[in-house]
Amino acid sequence: MIPGDFQPKKPTGTQLAKLGVLGAVLLGVFIVVVLLLTFVISSWLGQPVIFAREAPDQPIAFPHETHVKELGMDCTFCHRTVEKEAAASVPATGLCMTCHSAVGDELESISKMRSLYEDGRSIHWVRVHRVPDHVHFVHEAHIRYFSEKEGTEAKEVCATCHGDVASMDKVEQVRPLKMGDCVSCHKQNNAPTDCATCHY
Amino acid sequence: MADSNKWGMVVDIDRCTGCQGCVVACQAENNIPINLEEHFNQRRAIQWIRIERYWEGEYPNVKARFIPIMCQHCGNAPCEPVCPVYATYHNDEGMNVQVYNRCIGTRFCANGCPYHIRFFNFWEPEWPESLKNQLNPDVTVRSRGIMEKCSFCVQRIQRSTREAERDGVDLEDGDRGLNPACVNACATNSIIFGNFNDPNSEVSIIKEKEMKEGGRGYGLLENLGTDPNVIYLKKVDESVEVGHGH
Repeated sequence: MIPGDFQPKKPTGTQLAKLGVLGAVLLGVFIVVVLLLTFVISSWLGQPVIFAREAPDQPIAFPHETHVKELGMDCTFCHRTVEKEAAASVPATGLCMTCHSAVGDELESISKMRSLYEDGRSIHWVRVHRVPDHVHFVHEAHIRYFSEKEGTEAKEVCATCHGDVASMDKVEQVRPLKMGDCVSCHKQNNAPTDCATCHY
Repeated sequence: MADSNKWGMVVDIDRCTGCQGCVVACQAENNIPINLEEHFNQRRAIQWIRIERYWEGEYPNVKARFIPIMCQHCGNAPCEPVCPVYATYHNDEGMNVQVYNRCIGTRFCANGCPYHIRFFNFWEPEWPESLKNQLNPDVTVRSRGIMEKCSFCVQRIQRSTREAERDGVDLEDGDRGLNPACVNACATNSIIFGNFNDPNSEVSIIKEKEMKEGGRGYGLLENLGTDPNVIYLKKVDESVEVGHGH
């Protein structure tokens, strides 16, 4: 061998295998990080690209379409406190029974609801719209403002945030309901943007 | 009512009996975790309002003095400029607001406060199972790692304002729905809450009368220039001459 001539050592089989495993692991980590970043950033923006949250399955597939579109019931008939209080309440099964003690005998979901009513238990609905605990959203004030502004009844206002629930198969969230969403709407309507308006 | 409100308090030391009613009311209203003995020993107990007790005089003429101390909502608050994330700021109703979701827990504000009424959550708050359902839904439960302090029961102010707007009436001075929990709980009416921008409110009338030369009013540590929104009325004492201010 001439002095200075460099002969690279041939890697042995085990070394190659180790390198291969390391490369595969690093590639895997890289892919996971990219996927996570995509998920975090896109869900922060409001529309997750991967693992998009679909409308949740409810314990009883309540058809808003039948009640609102076909029967013409108001949102406020069931969500009774929405015009008066912070929360829009979900009715007790007792309210369902005012009609369903007589109608809907042939449906399975109705008999499920009736048996819950007879046992004195409530339906464990899956919550669709939720703001974090440090945000205090008050339905009453928003409904009052928009119905006065647009000169409409309370039930017409709900769609501003909740979309057209009447034609939804399963209820889903249509607005991001992030702070940016709240603040831009507050600015458009000259509503207070002081932190203590919602955060306390 | 004035266009913009400037909320404030008057605390009459002469009436305070040191019964701790305000402390308990505040604890219940504002979802403050239960302070154990070890929390006090570590100086980490959370009390948005506390009663400081001072003994005065020699036996047999010993007198106990009580001073309820809550956030003074200083007009020139030392806690505000030190916050790197603007988690504490002054709103246009004269209140020093703590924004929990902004706070990152540097604790600079607590170091700056001369009244020691800012508290850091060193632990995740815990309540016994039997008390879980008594938490106030209108108040955020503060998690570990953030500061908290007296908010003048801002949730009650917001609700009263909203309800007054809904019913088309003005906010009433001294309304029990508007008053903070400590004010409602005080058995001797030694704490009064109101709007300093309304010249007819009880606090404004007392401020007008007592903050003059010779009046009983003073601000706690007012020589520091914090411009507090809480006025204290010193004890009326015939036998002992009490110095003006602190």
